[in-house]
Amino acid sequence: MLLASRRAFLCLAAATAVARPAHAADDPAAQLIEKVAAEVIQLIKTTTGAQREAGIRDVLVRYFDLPYMGRAALATHWQATSPDQRERFLKAVVSAEARAYSERFGQYGGQTLNVTRVTQRPNGVSVVDSKLTQSDGQPINIQWEVRDSGQGLRITDVKIEGVSMVMTRRSDFNSYISNHGGKVEPLIDELEARAKR
Amino acid sequence: MVEGFFKSMASLRHAALALAAAVALTGCGDTGANETWDPLEAPNRFVFSINRAVDTIAVRPVAVLYRDWMPAGGQRGLHNVLENLGEPVTAINEVVQGAPSRAATTMGRFLINSTIGVAGLFDVASAIGLAKTREGMGDTIGYYAGVEPENGGFYMILPVIGPSNARDGVGLAIDAAVDPFSIITFGISRTAGWIYSGARYGATMIDRRSRTLFALDDLEKNSVDFYAALKSAYTQQRADFIRQKRDKTGPRAELEQRDKVALVR
Repeated sequence: MLLASRRAFLCLAAATAVARPAHAADDPAAQLIEKVAAEVIQLIKTTTGAQREAGIRDVLVRYFDLPYMGRAALATHWQATSPDQRERFLKAVVSAEARAYSERFGQYGGQTLNVTRVTQRPNGVSVVDSKLTQSDGQPINIQWEVRDSGQGLRITDVKIEGVSMVMTRRSDFNSYISNHGGKVEPLIDELEARAKR
Repeated sequence: MVEGFFKSMASLRHAALALAAAVALTGCGDTGANETWDPLEAPNRFVFSINRAVDTIAVRPVAVLYRDWMPAGGQRGLHNVLENLGEPVTAINEVVQGAPSRAATTMGRFLINSTIGVAGLFDVASAIGLAKTREGMGDTIGYYAGVEPENGGFYMILPVIGPSNARDGVGLAIDAAVDPFSIITFGISRTAGWIYSGARYGATMIDRRSRTLFALDDLEKNSVDFYAALKSAYTQQRADFIRQKRDKTGPRAELEQRDKVALVR
């Protein structure tokens, strides 16, 4: 009796927790990540400097849901911003991320990205687990959040060794805003000034 | 009176239903969305700025020199020696976590690497398939604490060491207290103990800093408030490590384990 109910509980837990780990290769979310990785590696091999930065920016705009990420990073402050501010904010964030990523990829030394698992969450988000294999040292775990928000599948977050890009930005931005009178304008000014540098 | 009671019961039930609906809507995926608890922010920022000054003047330049001028083999060797010195504390923690077989593997690694691996210079144990694990008392506390691993108590910046919180700070102190090597060296004499600890922690600092140069530079350059960004990144990384450990023993892992057994049969 006790055993039976325990089994039933485990089944229930399985139904909710193990939200079908699909075959990684033929899942559209996994294919998206593999496509992005391939394009980025191609970019790194063929371009440098400003050209690479522009290429990376193009990849970000095409495959990432940047408005969603920006909204998530601003969190509660998003409601308090005007449409004009939102546009300036998103533009500045895209420039900053493009520059940051092209610098990061400047360190590239033949690593390969392998998708290991795709998990579907009940709220429509696919979580793609992948490993970045380095020639020396431990592989790095990279987790991608992919969702369809009306314009096809887009990436909405990247977690490197458990550290979410969106979450870190949110803490960063929130702290800056609350240290500058709770207003978003100084943050946008700062981001724009950095983009010009 | 009675009517009032029923009314309040009804509104309570509504509230409960609303709460249940809210929980169902938000789902359980969005944990850790709230900010890290940081009641000591002002003193923390002060210590943080001192740490950064010390880093700029002393630690970082040494770490850069070490990374660029020390041969790669030497860097790997020193790293292995330091990791090997940490194995007994890892084993103790694994015992406390209720994982005696992992603790045995860790002690096996320690014995092999200390002898065949020439005092830990070479990681022979990994080559023969004994996987390395790294556990501290902060992880053990997090493993047993019945709270989300994002919640490690209040955040604090420790002098020289850097980001920590109540959980990991207490963990560090306990780890240092039960470390057999410091017990032995302090048992020989006070001077021997200090020489050993100073050398080990100094070397650990340079080794760790040389490995985090790129990641920390990146975070600093791409944040508008480095203190807040580092706090968030630290909290998330620690939480991820502890959550993985918990998930291994959850119902999900148990089921996966059963599936494997069923496949073998």
